Order: sequence, then structure tokens, then C-alpha cells
Amino acid sequence: MKSQSQIVSRTLVRLHSSWAVAACGVTLLMCVSGCGSTPAAWFRPNMVEATKQRLTPDQERQVSTVMLAMFGTPDAPVAPPETGLDEAKLQLAAGPVHSDIVGRKNGLYREHCAHCHGVTGDGLGPTAAFLNPYPRDYRPGVFKFKSTERSDKPTHEDLVRILHNGIPGTSMPSFALLSPPKVEALVEYVKYLSIRGETEIALMRAFFELDDEAQGKLPETREFLVDEVLTPVTEKWKSAADALIAVPEMASDLDLAASIAKGKELFYGDKANCVKCHGPTALGDGQANDYDDWNKAIVEVSKEVKSGLERAGETSTSGMDSEALAEHRGQLAWLDKFGRVLDGGDALRPRTIQPRNLRHGIYRGGRRPLDLYYRIHAGINGAPMPAAKGTVPPEEIWHIVNYVKSLPYELDGELGADRPMVAKDRF
Amino acid sequence: MRICSRNNADDCGGVAVSPRNPLVAAALLACLMTFGCSAERVSTPGADAGRAEQLRATLASSTGGGNAGEAAASTGTGWGTLKGRFLFAGTPGEPKPLMVDKDTEICSKAGVKLVDRSLLVDPATKGLANVVVFARKASRVKETTVPATPLVFDQKQCEFLSPVFAARVGQPIDVHNSDPIGHNTNIAGTSFNQLIPAGQGTLYKADAETGMPTMVTCNIHPWMKAYAVFRKDGYVAVSAADGSFTIPDLPAGEPLEMQVWHERSSGPNGALGLDNPALKWTPKGRFQIQLTPDEVEDIGTLEVPASALGT
Repeated sequence: MKSQSQIVSRTLVRLHSSWAVAACGVTLLMCVSGCGSTPAAWFRPNMVEATKQRLTPDQERQVSTVMLAMFGTPDAPVAPPETGLDEAKLQLAAGPVHSDIVGRKNGLYREHCAHCHGVTGDGLGPTAAFLNPYPRDYRPGVFKFKSTERSDKPTHEDLVRILHNGIPGTSMPSFALLSPPKVEALVEYVKYLSIRGETEIALMRAFFELDDEAQGKLPETREFLVDEVLTPVTEKWKSAADALIAVPEMASDLDLAASIAKGKELFYGDKANCVKCHGPTALGDGQANDYDDWNKAIVEVSKEVKSGLERAGETSTSGMDSEALAEHRGQLAWLDKFGRVLDGGDALRPRTIQPRNLRHGIYRGGRRPLDLYYRIHAGINGAPMPAAKGTVPPEEIWHIVNYVKSLPYELDGELGADRPMVAKDRF
Repeated sequence: MRICSRNNADDCGGVAVSPRNPLVAAALLACLMTFGCSAERVSTPGADAGRAEQLRATLASSTGGGNAGEAAASTGTGWGTLKGRFLFAGTPGEPKPLMVDKDTEICSKAGVKLVDRSLLVDPATKGLANVVVFARKASRVKETTVPATPLVFDQKQCEFLSPVFAARVGQPIDVHNSDPIGHNTNIAGTSFNQLIPAGQGTLYKADAETGMPTMVTCNIHPWMKAYAVFRKDGYVAVSAADGSFTIPDLPAGEPLEMQVWHERSSGPNGALGLDNPALKWTPKGRFQIQLTPDEVEDIGTLEVPASALGT
């Protein structure tokens, strides 16, 4: 019987010599660098906000410490009782994908969500830059598709519905195949990341509000951290169920054709003004150079950095006293850091927001007439879409809903054929 | 092995991934394995784990020490008035025209060109308009009743008529539209983003303070911009065209800290930092003052250098 070494050496001889050298080299390198241990997952601080608020490294550390105390780590999340979150559900969603002691699969968030929404829920997962629209960044605590008034949080059911249906027209898929306990765990974890992110932003902004006597130190007391910072965030989540939009029923004897005609009038009229953004053809080609709140935040700070750099470039340091020079250098260092934060993976390149093409019949927040009523009544939080409530009465909102629902199938007499019109036939 | 030709970039590019050049491929792979393929993200110091452990215990106990956030205790009596005037020490230059690309028959009526109003300087007096001054924490408030008469915030010819406005929390604001076309008014950081049909208005009451002024926009006409500041105590003023401001009925006989803001300010969050040691002016745009009861404290003219406004 041939020895193993003989086989290996014969095989090597048969191979092209340079391939063999290369293979050996790579194998050696793998032996050195290894492919095992990955560093523990961590919550990356909101660097855009930290830099915008000009936090010092020590202040960034203060925030990270408070966040660790309050919320734990991605592998071991903690939910303060004030959040009302269920830690058992969080455990199921958190951590790396693994089986727990009773054989349940844990790590659901990292299995299903983190590649787009990021471990921190910052919408900066590895795939994020390739998606349009970008995945939601939960940290500002703003959600678009919900049954509550504009600035209120979504209800638990709203988030369950999103997971169940996905968001048509985006990369967000349906998770209807997951069992209800898994969906519950993920919804709880999304709330956790959102509460965590919003609390972090509030802490970072709190430095500006500090008195000078505080010398840049946040009070590490329960009164400040819980009562002043955390509670305002959690209260809004708790009150979401009381903020439901009251929807009067559509009149049962409604003449649909007449309602659609009235809706059309409102769509193009100066009262509801839908035409300005959704365009005269309803293809979403009206207002096209605006941003949603997430992208606008990046646009605004980018402008600040750009104009700051321009000014710095025109500033001469000759004749400055040492104090002014130190200030100038500090400003330069800040601008440099901000530039690196914006370009270095803590932000995505801002994109303008596209008003929805209403001819497709694809509705991101759901296709029920009720969903469209919510969108028109309250507008879309975080997006430019304004609320019609207050100035457009409920029965007229229903007319607009009916017209919008008819748009993908609108009959067009101009072409002479009484057939359903879709946008691509016409344009 | 093929030799990469210096004047043929395609050839060079092909070489690196060609299976006929395994050494090059291996070198590339080795490089990737050593350095990775992601750019370095800005570093940040991690949390202090030991301190976090202590803090978690503090947060869990119901008597977590300290009494932060308590309202400043009143130490004085009577009421005084604060006034002053901002002057721009520089050349404002020509304001930039705004890009008006929609509803031009209304928005550019009679050839009126809309311009950027972020730096309004009175040519005669050099007065700097739209500087916001407010009391950070007032220990007491003279006029506790919030005005019930609506403050009108109007828009005409696709421009907000007040570029910067202040209101009290709970005070009704009549968000009006005097144009024959529809607008929407979107007050950032609040619940308000509503359609305002042509010639109509709707009432809004702020339910919380803004801190620093917040941006007001119209999404239909994105060049439209204004700022709003909502304060509970109403101790807030916006400088007039000549740069002057007055805040009456402030608590006197005790130290007061005032916050100053300007849209173009290069300080943090729009804070206007001035070099004014007499008033202990800080880079966060705050100054200290103590008023005498029943007297008007005039802090005189405050020169704002061009550098403070990033011009």
C-alpha cells in the first residue's frame, strides 16, 4: 500500500508548478490568519449624530457606557422595565444564529434582518448600499406605514403586518412563513433597536443642553437617564395604541363612479394637490428633488461640511493668536472627521425620494382602501407626503382613495379603446 | 506567464484574474485576506464595561441619587426687560437667487425673483435680522396665560412671510396660505405636515418646546424655508430688520442665561458664538445677564463678525 506522502508528492508533480506554489501559499496563509473566531457583534454608536453634536471621544464613551448599561449588547440585550419590552422575546431574536437549551432557534434578527437593517438597526447592513429604497434606519424612531396619527409610533399590529406582508415595491420581503412566536420576537426586537437608537440620539443631543458647570459630563442619575431621556421615548411607544386614526366608514350607498370623479377633481385641485408630487399623469413624476427625513439629515450635514471646508480653505491663519489658531485647528479636525464619517460607511449616499407611481397598483403600506385612507389622512411620517386631515374632510378622503384605486385601471377615452390602461401602454 | 503590457490597461486588468497566472491570483487573494476589502470606519472609544455595570445597578434602584433636571429655584423678585441690537460686521453680498421651477406664474409673479433670506442685513443700519434670543431656564414666568389669539404664519407668492417666527407652546398658530395655489407646511420635529389649500388656513398648537429653532418647509415648493421656535415661557425674541430685539418681563434680580441662534451661524446647532467676555458669551451661543426690577437692561450693539455666520 502506498504511503500518503507518496500520493501527495505524485499529485503535486502532476500539477502545474506555479499553481502548486500558489495553492501552498494560500493554504499557509489560511493557517496563519485562520477562518474561525469573529469578533463579538457590537452596537456601533450613531456616528453621524455624535459628530454633528461635536462630541469628544470621552463624551462618545459616556454615551456608549450608558447605552451598554441600559440596553446591553447584541448578544445579550437588556430591556429596562420602563420600555415594557419582553426580554424573553428579545433573547429569541438576539445573538448569533444558534439553538438554545430547549432546542429553539435563536438569533432570528441576524438570520433574517441584519444583513439589510444592520446589527444596530441603523439601516447600514452589508447589502444596504445596493438597495433602493435603502433599508429603514430604526434609530430615529420614525416609521412610515401605520394606522396611527402622523407623529405617533406604529402599533404592535402595524409592525406585525409589515413583517407578514413585506413592503411591495421594495426589497422588504414577506416573513409570512415564520411562525407567529418568531414574528413576535422580531417585532419586539425592532422596537428594542428603535427605542435604543432614539435614546442614544437623545443622549447625544443632551450634551448641547448641558450647562457649562456640567463640564461636558452627563448626569449619571436615574432621574436624568430614565425620567428625562428614556421615558419620553418609551411613552410614545406605549401610547401608540391610543393614537389610532379614526376612520369613518365609507357611505354604504356610495356611487363609486361619482366618487371616483370627485376624487379625480380633488387629485388635480388646489385643495388636495396630489398632482404636484404624483404628477399630472400620476406616474410619480411631479416633485422629484426632495428627500425623506433620513436622507435629508445626511444632505444637511454634508452641506454644512462642504461649506465649512470651503470657508476653511479661504481662511488665512497668519495673524491669528494662539487661541484663534487652536479654534481653527479644532474646526478643521471636526470637518475632517465628519467627512470621514459620511464617506466611511456610517452614512449612505443620499437619494431623492420618488413620489409613488400610482399607475402601478403597488402600495407599499398595504393595498386595502383603509391603508390608503391612513396614508392620505395622516400623510407619511418621515416622507414629504403631507396630511390631508384638517383641511380635507373624511368623505373627500374616501373619494381620493377611490380615485387612486382606479388609477391603474383608468379607462382612457383618448386612445379610443375602452380597455384598462396601464402606464407602460401610454408612455 | 504573460507579461502585462504597460500601454494596454485591459491586458493588465485581465492578467490579475487570469487562471493562467496563479501566482498573481494568489498574491491578490493573500492581499485581500490580510487587509480585508472594507474601508476603515471612523473609530470611537468603546463603552466602559465596569462603569456600565455600576450604572445598571443605579438605574435599577428606585432611589438613584441626584436631582438633575430640577427647575432652577427663584432667587430674585420683580421683572425686567432685556434689549439689544445685532449688527453685521461685514459685507453681506448679493443674496443668492432661489431655484423656482414650479408654479412660476404665481411664484415669480410680476418678475419678482425669490432670493435666499438666510442673511438679512439692513443696508442703512447694518442691523442683522432674524437672530433668535431666548431664556434657557426661567425660574418663574410673569404672564402664565398663553395667548389665545392665533399668531398668523402666512405664505404668499411661494414664500413664508415670516422667515423666523416664535410662539409659545400651546398658542394657536394660524398656518395660512394666501396664494391661489395649494401648499403644504411641514414643521420638522413636530407632528405638523399638512396640506394648506389655496386661500385657507388651519390651526396648529405646538405641544412641546423645540429647543433650538426648527425648520419649516413646503415640500411642494422645496425652496420655501422658514424657522420656528416654540417656548413654554414665551421669553423669546426674533431680531427685527434693524437688528433690535426686546424681551420684556423677564425674572429680575437673579442670574439669567440667554441662548442666541442664527440660521447661518457656524456654531453647533446654529448657536451664535460671539467674542464678548463682558457677557460671558460661550461658543454654545449663550450669555449671562442679571436684570434689575422695573428697568430696561440695554446690552447695546452686538457685533456679529462675518466668520461667525459662515459667509
